[in-house]
Amino acid sequence: MSSLVEIRDVHKIYRRDSFDVPVLNGVSVTVPKGDFLALMGPSGSGKTTLLNLIAGIDRPTRGQVVVDDKEISAFNETKLATWRATHVGFIFQMYNLIPVLDAADNVEMPLLLTKLSKRERREHVETALKIVGLADRMHHFPRQLSGGQEQRVSIARAIVADPTILVADEPTGDLDAKSAHEILDLLQQLNDEHQKTVVMVTHDPRAAERARRTLHLDKGILVESQHLEPVAPAGPRGA
Amino acid sequence: MTFQKLILRNLFRSKLRTTLTLFLMGAIFFFVATMLSILENFEAAANSGEGQNRLAVQSKISLANPLPLSHEEKIRALPGVADVAKLQWVGAYYKEPKNFFANFAIDHDKMSSVWDDYAVPKDQLDAFVADRQGAIVGPELIKRYGWKIGDRVTLIGQIFPFNPEVTIRGVYTHKFDTSSFFFHFDYFYESMKEITGGTVGTFWVKVANPKDMPRISQQIDDMFENSDYPTETFTEKEFQQQFMAMIGDVKLLFRVVSLCSIFMVVLLAALTMSMAARERVTEIAVMKAIGYPGRLILRLMLIEFVILGFLGGALGTLGAKVVYKFVNMTEVTQGFLVAFGVNGKTIATCLAAAAIVGLLAGGLPAYRSARLSVVDGLRKVW
Repeated sequence: MSSLVEIRDVHKIYRRDSFDVPVLNGVSVTVPKGDFLALMGPSGSGKTTLLNLIAGIDRPTRGQVVVDDKEISAFNETKLATWRATHVGFIFQMYNLIPVLDAADNVEMPLLLTKLSKRERREHVETALKIVGLADRMHHFPRQLSGGQEQRVSIARAIVADPTILVADEPTGDLDAKSAHEILDLLQQLNDEHQKTVVMVTHDPRAAERARRTLHLDKGILVESQHLEPVAPAGPRGA
Repeated sequence: MTFQKLILRNLFRSKLRTTLTLFLMGAIFFFVATMLSILENFEAAANSGEGQNRLAVQSKISLANPLPLSHEEKIRALPGVADVAKLQWVGAYYKEPKNFFANFAIDHDKMSSVWDDYAVPKDQLDAFVADRQGAIVGPELIKRYGWKIGDRVTLIGQIFPFNPEVTIRGVYTHKFDTSSFFFHFDYFYESMKEITGGTVGTFWVKVANPKDMPRISQQIDDMFENSDYPTETFTEKEFQQQFMAMIGDVKLLFRVVSLCSIFMVVLLAALTMSMAARERVTEIAVMKAIGYPGRLILRLMLIEFVILGFLGGALGTLGAKVVYKFVNMTEVTQGFLVAFGVNGKTIATCLAAAAIVGLLAGGLPAYRSARLSVVDGLRKVW
């Protein structure tokens, strides 16, 4: 199985006032293509920082982050932004849709950075919204949608540019149980049917159960790796 | 979906805030446009005699010092002089001191030769010339005081102990001066000769060929250089600019007030734009996370802020244009502002200033947004 993400002996130290705060201490992780990885751990364990490094929105203090054979930890800001636009789809806990744009326009946001024509962009948006089951809510504004629906739009925005990897931080953290279940179903579907590599940070063991693998972090160190089932890039898994 | 749509949606994201900001900026730019228009009006007044080939001859000592009447014929004898006329500033008012307007005693028979830019119907001009106590007045005065031709009007002197009692014989039209009052110099002179002793305030010289104006001007002054009454000769524009120079401090004050207003609007807009940028920190972080480069975010925000500034400026400036089209400022200012309006130059200046206000006020918030660390911005999101 080829690896998509390789985290090699990564250290991350934040400077807060005059103090150095180590967040990651020599973490090494490999994420194969088609994986669905859950990152768990207590608050302050470094799981979000690790996710940020994988997503290319932060750089390690030491060590390397290689994604799809490119050492993104060596990229400058501009190159990283361009790389993120084509390789990473973000799913946020609070959805973070732009309130003044309707669902379709929100989903289209990443595509404005591409050279696609207006018609092609519209087709991509319709496809993405269809995948998340919101084709009939294209012209609804975020305030007109439920939390679960907003998160679906957020997922559509994450997948619309067909990224290499989806990163999600507590994607169900703000949802009721039913909506959370639906969102996890959707992420699982994206992983199973569309072979999207998913890296998800969660506190919820039930959410982590949906992943193929779970990594536990504590105080910036990888403490446990739980392999639930082999990574199978093609074909759906059983419930 | 386009960037333009995104900008416009963000611009009117908070309708109340945007509307209030636009109205506040509009009010300030209304004021600035008014100030600049008054300055333009002053300039136009200074240039009102341009192209009339007229020279004004006054005492070299000061405008308040009179010149002997005997200068007239000597000036007239100079080659190239088409005609010469006497003009005396009388400075009287009508009924009450607040009813003040420019009033002059002039050579009644020189209206059509020296002041030929003042158009008077022939029958009215003839009536004025024929009546020693006749007067020609501007249309604004007719309107303001409800006068009509044939009305008997008494002015009350302030400078001279002389209350001119005249009959309105005609109404002139002029492209700029709409509120002056002219009557016979002979009438003034006969009444005041004991006091003025054969003098007059200024002579106005009509020159046949404009190319000769510098020469004639020099010749007049040279001619009286060593006399008891040396002269200083100006073109009409220079003469008018003397008065503008007298109110130079007022012009400076207007400019300073305008600049202060613009500075105020920059601060105000900066506050609004900072608020707009701050409430979007998480959105900007998300945009950066999904691949929007900082310079694109900077551009989008600057365009939004420049549009906001421009709209505020347009509201105020065009509002002023419309208001002054319907409000008669000549009447409101008792003739101080004549033919007042907001011209194209003032509109262009205000709109450019408004766009710059947007750029200056929005520059820092937009720059900070563009420089925002994705992780710091997302810390509020994740």
